[in-house]
Amino acid sequence: MNKIIHIEDFSRSGGQLAQIDPAELMPLPPPYDKMSKPPIRQLTDEQRKRMDASLDGVVAIGLTPPANPEEEKAFIDKFLAGLEKLFTIENNWTFLQPLVHTLDYCVKCQICSDACPTYLASGRQEIYRPTMRAEILRRIISKYIKKENSLVRKFKASDIDLNWQTLARLAELAYRCTLCRRCAQVCLIGCDNALISREIRKIFSQQMGIAPKELHEKGAVQQLKVGSSTGMTPAALMNIIEFIEEEIEEKTGRKIKIPVDKKGADMLLIHNAGEFLAWPENLEAFAILLDAAGVDWTLSTEIAGYDSVNYGVWYDDFQFSRVAIRQSLAAKSLGVRKISLGECGHAHKAGIVVADRVLTGDLNIPRESILPLLEEIVISGRVKLDPSRNNFPVTLHDPCNMVRLMGIVAPQRRILKKICPQFREMTPHGVENYCCGGGSGFAIMQSTNFPDWRSAVSGRMKFKQILDAFHDVPGPEVKKYLCAPCSNCKGQFRDMFEYYGVWEKSGILYGGLVELIVNAMVDLKKPFIQWEWH
Amino acid sequence: MGTLIIVLTYIAYVCIVAVYTFKVVGWLRLPPHIRWDLYPVIHEENYRYGGSYYEQQEWWTKPRPKNRWRSIMYSLKDNFYMGEYYKRNPLYWLFLLPWHLGFIFIITFHILCFFAAVSMVAGLEISAASASSAGKSFYYILLATGGFAFLTGTFGSIGMIFIRLADRSLRMYSMPMNFFNYFFFLIVYGSGLFAWLALDPTLVEYRAYWLGLITLSPPVLHPMTVLHIILFDIFLIYLPFTRSTHYITRILAYFYIRWDDEPNQRGSKMEKQLNDLLGQKVSWEGSHIAKGKSWVEVATEPGFPDTKKDSK
Repeated sequence: MNKIIHIEDFSRSGGQLAQIDPAELMPLPPPYDKMSKPPIRQLTDEQRKRMDASLDGVVAIGLTPPANPEEEKAFIDKFLAGLEKLFTIENNWTFLQPLVHTLDYCVKCQICSDACPTYLASGRQEIYRPTMRAEILRRIISKYIKKENSLVRKFKASDIDLNWQTLARLAELAYRCTLCRRCAQVCLIGCDNALISREIRKIFSQQMGIAPKELHEKGAVQQLKVGSSTGMTPAALMNIIEFIEEEIEEKTGRKIKIPVDKKGADMLLIHNAGEFLAWPENLEAFAILLDAAGVDWTLSTEIAGYDSVNYGVWYDDFQFSRVAIRQSLAAKSLGVRKISLGECGHAHKAGIVVADRVLTGDLNIPRESILPLLEEIVISGRVKLDPSRNNFPVTLHDPCNMVRLMGIVAPQRRILKKICPQFREMTPHGVENYCCGGGSGFAIMQSTNFPDWRSAVSGRMKFKQILDAFHDVPGPEVKKYLCAPCSNCKGQFRDMFEYYGVWEKSGILYGGLVELIVNAMVDLKKPFIQWEWH
Repeated sequence: MGTLIIVLTYIAYVCIVAVYTFKVVGWLRLPPHIRWDLYPVIHEENYRYGGSYYEQQEWWTKPRPKNRWRSIMYSLKDNFYMGEYYKRNPLYWLFLLPWHLGFIFIITFHILCFFAAVSMVAGLEISAASASSAGKSFYYILLATGGFAFLTGTFGSIGMIFIRLADRSLRMYSMPMNFFNYFFFLIVYGSGLFAWLALDPTLVEYRAYWLGLITLSPPVLHPMTVLHIILFDIFLIYLPFTRSTHYITRILAYFYIRWDDEPNQRGSKMEKQLNDLLGQKVSWEGSHIAKGKSWVEVATEPGFPDTKKDSK
């Protein structure tokens, strides 16, 4: 059994609070039950000196310890000033109501723990309980913000010693939750402990300028500077589009001109720019299908107009709003009627739902998911499809942001049922799905041993689900397809499958939804899906 | 003593209503927030599988019917069933549900007592031997409600002490206040149970107490009943200072957070509220947030130094 860890332990300096013990991790089916390597790489002594890893030996942020007590005090004071701002309307109207509700009304019944895939897959590591972060924050508020007297604090068990170590561990802990909000879904009181993770991240970012590099500097800031979080400039985008057009011609013999910056088009389609670099076949498939269906669409080359990602949704309200506003401005300058989001879960939630109360006036351009249009194309017969071309085992991953957090559940299923004769569901699925393990930015975070942690721990439950869905065809001789209509989830599957050697051992390929549709198109001579690991 | 319990009871009811109202109004006065819906959203047509209006093409051109009645029934149902607990921790549910039912039924019992007293003033005899069938029915309803409240409350309070200590994950996150509450509530329910079973099996003293309350004539009651009533009054005063407001705020959280899927539309009241909020000055200190500017000003800046301007 994993070590019992109390909240008081968070304030103890030195040493690592929790150990990820391979024997305690949730078992996986063969051949993944015996891993030859340790699940998580150990940090070097030099790394440990430079970056705080005292939570669980893993680094997402890697804060540098203060040089002297003055620095430590300044750090704590700044955090507390940020914590106070979290409860003011002008600074945090965005989440004040759900935040206050969760902090005031959680009864710590722990029902949410059993809904959390990270907590369960870790072998019930105490630190990963959804209630842990909230309880630490609640105690800090009681002692340092409300300044409740010591008797009240004893009565409410809300004492805590605040030092640099407590906050460094809390900052890391906020990045051990994928914000999948499965915990919130089961809470009968309506509390949302995942939101607490986000609000802790917010204090660190908005007040202290601390966030994982991949989300902030290399993510949102880069997107606002050059146009995309990938670093892809508009000029590079044009080169890639040209490459994609050539690829389409080579694969299908079709000459398709991808519409770019087409003024007055009906629909601005925004993809996650990761697709351009890592999975161009997804864009090729979109271009082929929309062309065949006669859809009036365009891409944009404006800043953020060709990259649907919005990492701010996970850690910073202002970075979030800046990106959402620029995406809307891109659509406005083209004069399109609507924005459609490609296969990216968090971009769906951020752009369609969360941005809804930031975009006012003429920035409030109608925004929708591409999935209902794909469904209409498939079901209406506008494009002729032959399901026998997809006669291999297919299962569907539900991106949390698209499904549990915005209720797009059925269109993708109706498509798969129509074109994939061997489609099978995972258990559980739909709004009760498990996160891929790469949610809330984890899929792009590559700091030291963090990718190991997300493959071994946060993605473990999903990995088991995928293997279980294909339990009747476990070997690599039968090629199988994991349909993941989300770029971030695909990024997580790419890394996790690599980590476990899934292609060699089980023959499972991951990919998007539109690729399956195009693969079934009757008038394409060759299959579109190429069964190659990449 | 009769006067004391009348005064104390009025103070207790004024207190519980005032503090609950204050808390609920405070909750409702919090500003609109960013949408943070979580599915299934029960008023949606496709709530059974968690579908939303976003499953339709051009959803903004389509009607968005909302079944509010279903939402209300769904949110109330959990006060009496707590299915998620039954599914995930049946032993905990076994004690938690009676504990909560104890609260609901003891309050219901007192409300019924009030109406019984009013009926008695109007001339209705409430007893097993009442000539009127209404009086007879009222008697048995009161007996069942009160008895059920005392039994479930006592059982639940004992059970909660046991489960909070026996279950490691519950024990770790328990606070002295939890155990104080369980013991205190046990004394309240237990004293009621004892008074009912040993001294007042027909609950005639309760009816006399409530009759005294509404006619302002101090009743003469057995000391044990008096003790229970005093404890119950203290319970009413104390209750709003615990997390018990969640009986109400959990329903608000469902409607105003989890199921709040109302889109912001141009020219709407919501948009006006949002524009007011976006116009407020923020004071975050991160280097990417400019000082002294409003929310909307910060959000429309890129958040990094303009290198072209700097190089000039």
